[in-house]
Amino acid sequence: MFPTPIAKTAPWVQRTYKWLLPVALVLWLLPLIGIAVTSIRPSSDLAAGNYFGWPSGFNLVENYSAVFENSNIGWYILNSFKVTIPTVIGAVGLSCLTGYALAVYKFKSNLLVFFMFVAGNFVPFQILAIPVRDLTLKLGMYNTTMGLVMFHVAFQTGFCTLFMRNFIKGLPFALIESARVEGVSEWKIFWHIVMPLMRPAIAALAVLIFTFIWNDYFWATVMAQSADVRPVTAGMNELKGQWKVAWELIAAASIIAALPPVAMFFLMQKHFIAGLTLGATKG
Amino acid sequence: MATVTLRNARKSFGNVNIIKGIDLDIADGEFCVFVGPSGCGKSTLLRMIAGLEDITSGSLQIGGREMANVESADRGVAMVFQSYALYPHMTVRENVGFGLKMTGHSKADIEKRTQRAADMLQLGPLMDRKPSQLSGGQRQRVAIGRAIVREPEVFLFDEPLSNLDAALRVQMRIEIGKLHNDLKSTMIYVTHDQVEAMTMADKIVVLHGGIVEQVGSPLELYHRPRNMFVAGFIGSPKMNFIPVTVASAKGGSVSVTLPGGTKMNIPVAGPLPAVGAKLTLGCRPEHVNIGKSDKAAGVLKGTIRVAEYLGSETMFYVTLADGSEFSVKGGGLAGQKVGDVLPLELPVAACHLFDEQFNTIQNGDLTR
Repeated sequence: MFPTPIAKTAPWVQRTYKWLLPVALVLWLLPLIGIAVTSIRPSSDLAAGNYFGWPSGFNLVENYSAVFENSNIGWYILNSFKVTIPTVIGAVGLSCLTGYALAVYKFKSNLLVFFMFVAGNFVPFQILAIPVRDLTLKLGMYNTTMGLVMFHVAFQTGFCTLFMRNFIKGLPFALIESARVEGVSEWKIFWHIVMPLMRPAIAALAVLIFTFIWNDYFWATVMAQSADVRPVTAGMNELKGQWKVAWELIAAASIIAALPPVAMFFLMQKHFIAGLTLGATKG
Repeated sequence: MATVTLRNARKSFGNVNIIKGIDLDIADGEFCVFVGPSGCGKSTLLRMIAGLEDITSGSLQIGGREMANVESADRGVAMVFQSYALYPHMTVRENVGFGLKMTGHSKADIEKRTQRAADMLQLGPLMDRKPSQLSGGQRQRVAIGRAIVREPEVFLFDEPLSNLDAALRVQMRIEIGKLHNDLKSTMIYVTHDQVEAMTMADKIVVLHGGIVEQVGSPLELYHRPRNMFVAGFIGSPKMNFIPVTVASAKGGSVSVTLPGGTKMNIPVAGPLPAVGAKLTLGCRPEHVNIGKSDKAAGVLKGTIRVAEYLGSETMFYVTLADGSEFSVKGGGLAGQKVGDVLPLELPVAACHLFDEQFNTIQNGDLTR
């Protein structure tokens, strides 16, 4: 059996494994642990320079309620949802169509179009910040939720298309041909045969894009100015305080802001189950 | 019910010609098998008939209607794929009825047709299972059921049994044969397995390199192959081929020299080959007799290299004096062992002669 089960290895390997694993785990999670601990520190700790030591008190309730009292975080989270959910639906929905077209139909510039979708991913979006800002201004979409959604959809569809096209290419093509011989129209083939089999890909992509967009800070600051539009990542700025940075509140707000992507992951994970196409063809 | 007619049908992918001009008539209700080695274009030809591949040039008619610009759905064909192509997220019942549902048939009609197909293929207890819960043979039956409910004029099978184990293959072969008897539809069946072709076909089309080598009934191909390719392809184990030289040719028969010097007289019906011509003599392993002495006419000698004792018969693979390989089928009780020398008699009536272009001069037709 490969890899050899730990229980069957030499004693020194077992001992090293037992020590090294938790150490690696803690190292890996250190930033998260740091944020989590900071979020419950009293502000006096930070003022006194106690960043990594044992907290002098546990202000869990105080800090977290302060986040909601001192800022409009509820509103910003709502803004984040207003940007993220339409983007996920838009990008994933569009890429299902583009991916299907690129995977199933043979046409002259098929590969060229596909490569353009892929190549778009290699453009660093920082260099696009100024042109995009100008464009949105001219289109009257600057500082609107719609503008953020449109540009996120535009930027994410390239990657999503790459993902979907490759996934559909992996489906047995005989399924589509078989339906064609049966006289099923192309739209019905897409809807009744390909879409159900794409469920794991749609779920994976939805989580991924949700996380990307939710965590986006760059476009959130570039394209949104007012508090009505700002998503939570940019809105958190408000907690900085006037005279000093309230790190314990920012940490608490970060934890709150990170919850939706985590929830999304657990919500979607049962759809990831592989082997949905099992039994379609020989095997 | 429909005939299928191909006239000079061609298919090329870019510069590569796959099908190089095929003329073929398949009668209404006929069971026609396309057989050939891999890469011969048999699957492509079937897919052209199905409408999954365009025809580059030439004509295809199904039931007398020209099909070049007709969508595959409107050709009145149903296809069973090698990989079964069952929709994995649907139950057997949904799989079988899917095409009908999508093309707007009434619920009652779908129910009736599905039930009929299920009865025909004994799918009853499997109707609510998903494909992943079925065995290979059951999946193949579902795939056939999906074809039956469409009540097509022509059934197309693309190597449907090649993913099944040997025992199941024999059973499904019989079932498909029975199905053909019940439905009396035209069926076109692609396989690379010549045993499947021989057992199922009314008509076999032997394809090789994109052209038709020969069309005929199974026994016609077995007894009267038109060239060396068909002779070698039909029949298992393969026909033996021995290089011979024409020693004399007169009076409707030729005398050829076998390797080792023995001469053999073979009657030839057509024009006689020239003296000194290098020909190929073919004789099937099952027609070679294991002789008692090496004095008789047409006797070769060979040393047994491999012996397979199958009980019902024994296969000997021998090496002749000139080093060439030769196979012989002996009785189930044959006692010869590896290393023994076998005298081999070639019955004149079973000997085929091929010319330098590998075309048949004379068939060793035992049905004469």
